[in-house]
Amino acid sequence: MNPLQKLHTWIDVRIGIDALLKKELTGYLLPRNINAWYSLGSILLVLFSIQVLTGILLLVYYVPDAEKAFQSVTFIMNQVPFGWLFRTCHAVGSNLMILALFGHLLSVLFMGSYKSPREFNWLSGFVLFNLVMGISLTGYLLPWSQLSFWATTVATNSVGVVPVIGEQLVEFLRGAKSVGPPTLSRFFVLHVVVIPATIAGMIGLHLFLLKRTGVSLPPFGLSDTRNAWRGEQYRYEDHPDGIPFFPNFALRDLSSILLYLALFGTVVFFLPNLFFPAQAFVPADPFQTPDRIKPEWYFLPNYQTLRILPSELLGLAVQGAAMTFLALLPFIDRGTERHPLKRPLFLTCCICGILTFVGLMIWGHYS
Amino acid sequence: MIRSTIRHIALAALILCLASSIAIGAVVVDTAAKPPATVCLACHGSQTGPGGIPVKPWQGSVHAAGGIGCQDCHGGDPKDAVNAMSPARGFLGVPAEQGIPAFCGRCHVGILEDYLKSAHGRALGKGGPTCVTCHGSHEVQKVTLEIINEKRCSACHTYERAARIKAAMQEVERNLVRIDGEITRLKQEGVDTDAWGKQLFAVRNRYHRLFHNVDVALVRKESAAIRGELDKLDDFLSRTDEERYRRKIAGAFAVGGFLVAALLAHLLAKSYD
Repeated sequence: MNPLQKLHTWIDVRIGIDALLKKELTGYLLPRNINAWYSLGSILLVLFSIQVLTGILLLVYYVPDAEKAFQSVTFIMNQVPFGWLFRTCHAVGSNLMILALFGHLLSVLFMGSYKSPREFNWLSGFVLFNLVMGISLTGYLLPWSQLSFWATTVATNSVGVVPVIGEQLVEFLRGAKSVGPPTLSRFFVLHVVVIPATIAGMIGLHLFLLKRTGVSLPPFGLSDTRNAWRGEQYRYEDHPDGIPFFPNFALRDLSSILLYLALFGTVVFFLPNLFFPAQAFVPADPFQTPDRIKPEWYFLPNYQTLRILPSELLGLAVQGAAMTFLALLPFIDRGTERHPLKRPLFLTCCICGILTFVGLMIWGHYS
Repeated sequence: MIRSTIRHIALAALILCLASSIAIGAVVVDTAAKPPATVCLACHGSQTGPGGIPVKPWQGSVHAAGGIGCQDCHGGDPKDAVNAMSPARGFLGVPAEQGIPAFCGRCHVGILEDYLKSAHGRALGKGGPTCVTCHGSHEVQKVTLEIINEKRCSACHTYERAARIKAAMQEVERNLVRIDGEITRLKQEGVDTDAWGKQLFAVRNRYHRLFHNVDVALVRKESAAIRGELDKLDDFLSRTDEERYRRKIAGAFAVGGFLVAALLAHLLAKSYD
């Protein structure tokens, strides 16, 4: 027995690593008709890891002080070896993470994977989605540029339309009457401690729920695509004739992750300023309002919705109602059918919704 | 059937909500910059006679773009309609012709100095030109070499000497404009151009001081020295561009590597299936 085998046996007899690997990797069976959309979860995990890693590297040099924040980011971009790379990766990563989140959400929606008994999976995913939006918004302020300063000013202003407590809410968010050093401190703590820790916890919960309910069967290539679970008792959805997670699906996952990383690399190296307008490189000046500030692409539909509705309060109310509705979707949609083509009205509405969403985004961009 | 319809309507609403949902926040509105509202503009802007003439040319001028308003040159109180033109509030009004260089020179100190030393300045009050003869008054624009032209110069004297000065300065002007554009581009891409911007500012000032000089030999000598300064800046910019090009080459390898690895993983997965 060579030393490596000896070490392996030494560990195995203590913690049963062989049995664990068999259970979680080679013996963990997934549906035979599983598709590439199921890899979006793994892609999101990789992107979150990249964000954490690049975020830690940025933290080494970033100074969360209104007087020094912009200079420290400029220093990272120009003086720190490979600083430009990890800052660009961090910024591009946040955008591509949201893109992957949209893909994940839509795939779950189209394949009816949110249906019972996966209400908690959907809810935890919904919370994660909002947390990622929140971490993006708080991170936006940290470079202390004209773009971040004014975008945050107007974003926090919008809360002021909430009746009765609006003004207090704005002050609570900013830590002062207007955006300033206390806002930067708050957003910094939220961005680097509170939200990432909550995201990590929610990812753990999301994966735990996935393990408890089992992977959902894709509604494609089957004669009966209805949801078989009747709610009598807890059931783990296993797939005895499925494919093992390792190596079969792990390799497919890896292929999808690498493809996404190719897209990531293309943006980082060839379109590094795709998400950085010129105002992002001008230091914040509270006395100089830029001509026109636009939010990031993923907030453009919100932006445009608020602009086309007669009042901001109505706009916020519509969005709040929509978010509540989206969160409660599995409790509203109790139908058993999961195949999108067997739900023609749902499919039509879905496509119209996506077109409207993209339309509002484009409208918001050019308005 | 009714329940199913209600369900579908609810889902339709959901999808429409998706279009306007996602998150609460990041509400950003148009914040178009507006010129400061002054009583000068309010009153003169509505006048149809001579008093209203300066408003439009000023609005298109380099002064307006830089936030220099009526009161910055003419004094007075731009917030008090009653006392706006009161000498007690510092109102100066329109300067006499001989007073124009000193009037503009309150801000353009170095240029006033150069002008007064030049043949133009020495002829002040003897039919020589003032600032507004060449630059105009309210319509004043950012100066370029085009200000030296046959039509303008020939109004007072022959164009020959001015043409030689212009020829000596032309390459400097071209390089200045090009390097300025390069620095702006790099700044908008996140490159720290502060030091280069300051150097260019100093070089440009040196160049602008030539405008009021009419000594051809001196202009040629100074232009050559300025070209040398600009070449150094150009060198820094070229090195930055080369560095960025190298990043792209590295990026091509990284992206290519990811694609090849993705293909291999896909083929391996197929072989297991």
